[in-house]
Amino acid sequence: MKVLEVQGLRKQYPSFLLEDVSFSMEAGRNMGLIGRNGAGKTTTLKSIFNLVHPDAGSIRLLGADMPAEERKIKQRIGFAGGAVDYYKRKKLREIVAVTKRFYENWDDEICRRYSTAFSLDDEKTPLQLSEGMRVKFSLMLALSHHAELLILDEPTSGLDPVSRAELLDTFLFLKEKGVSILFSTHITTDLEKCADDITYLAKGRLITSEPLAGYLSANAKKGNGASLEEIMVSVEKESLHEILAD
Amino acid sequence: MKYLLIKELRLAASPLSYIFLVASLMTLLPGYPILMSAFFICFGIFHSFQSAREANDTLYTVLLPVKKRDFVRAKFIFTCLIQAAGFVLCAALTVLRMTLLADAGPYVSNALMNATPYYLTFVLLIFTAFNVLFVGGFFKTGYKIGIPFLIFGIAAFLLIVPAEILPHIPGLAFLHTPSGERLGLQLILLLGAAVIWGISTVLACRKAEERFEKIDL
Repeated sequence: MKVLEVQGLRKQYPSFLLEDVSFSMEAGRNMGLIGRNGAGKTTTLKSIFNLVHPDAGSIRLLGADMPAEERKIKQRIGFAGGAVDYYKRKKLREIVAVTKRFYENWDDEICRRYSTAFSLDDEKTPLQLSEGMRVKFSLMLALSHHAELLILDEPTSGLDPVSRAELLDTFLFLKEKGVSILFSTHITTDLEKCADDITYLAKGRLITSEPLAGYLSANAKKGNGASLEEIMVSVEKESLHEILAD
Repeated sequence: MKYLLIKELRLAASPLSYIFLVASLMTLLPGYPILMSAFFICFGIFHSFQSAREANDTLYTVLLPVKKRDFVRAKFIFTCLIQAAGFVLCAALTVLRMTLLADAGPYVSNALMNATPYYLTFVLLIFTAFNVLFVGGFFKTGYKIGIPFLIFGIAAFLLIVPAEILPHIPGLAFLHTPSGERLGLQLILLLGAAVIWGISTVLACRKAEERFEKIDL
């Protein structure tokens, strides 16, 4: 079953064009959305979640059309733009108490378990939490309503290596529980640890969307490098000196 | 909508929105342009928009399973609730001034506007200006509050000054006599202002919903 289908996505900004982006994602898999800064990852994720309005293209989530069935879809998915950066001076328990009312499937017991597992103190405010803990709080909110698909924008950016490793372990744990995760990153080593598939964007265009293992082996044969980082550098590296000379 | 209102009250609202309701007490001040009470009540609501913006309230809300238009509607309803509370306080104090305090010296010799239904009429018109110009203006962008509030401030000034001048025009002094004269006419004016407030707010809300729906967040 496909949890996400993006077809012909196009979004024009004054100085950026995201064009003809199509990919899909199967249930129970983790997909990494990769690309350099400014490649169009955030625009793609925000389009999927109806935060920006694409000029063209269609988006289906869990078999339902976005934005036509937006409310229904949002009951079943979670979106986090990295760490929680809202209501930074409100206690976590206040944010939870308000948030839970909106979800039909909110599960207090699951919420309590994640809170314990993530060592979150609900008397603290987001301002008192580290970046990593705020990402975990964001995940806790998404998971407590039994989200089947998590969409995360740069969740590992700004985290120390230990927090990043913990978060990636969490992704693998969630995958075992049947949760699909689509997350954007430009930290390619994160993907090699926990992604099944990758969707690679460059300058607003889709380079590929396929299983990670296949992509790595195909590029290794072509001599583009053995790791995602080497492949990205091989595909996209521009000489600053040449650009300046032009 | 109920849950969005709870969200407004528990997470998004600034305490200043409630504290500034105290400005209703200005209704009792002699020798003071008492319509400033309406301006300060609106200023208190402005603080909620400001603190909500700083707290990324918009992003939090649109990630919830709600429609973007519900977010707009909840902001308007919150605004109207505060205004209704402010109006009730102003109205109660106006009744106090027109009855028990009608013969009080400072009010009898008051050069500026006394509290009458005419005063409450302009309170509602200032609220209307706030809803249309500030709240409606805010939803053009979803984050800019300075210019919409400046425009509202100018509009409020343009309402307060003529409202203070009008009772000094020969034949219109009845508008601010402490005990109230020609109350029937004044109450009709007040009712008209209430209708204008209600209709303008609904229209401003609809327009804001359309605008906000088109914004990329």
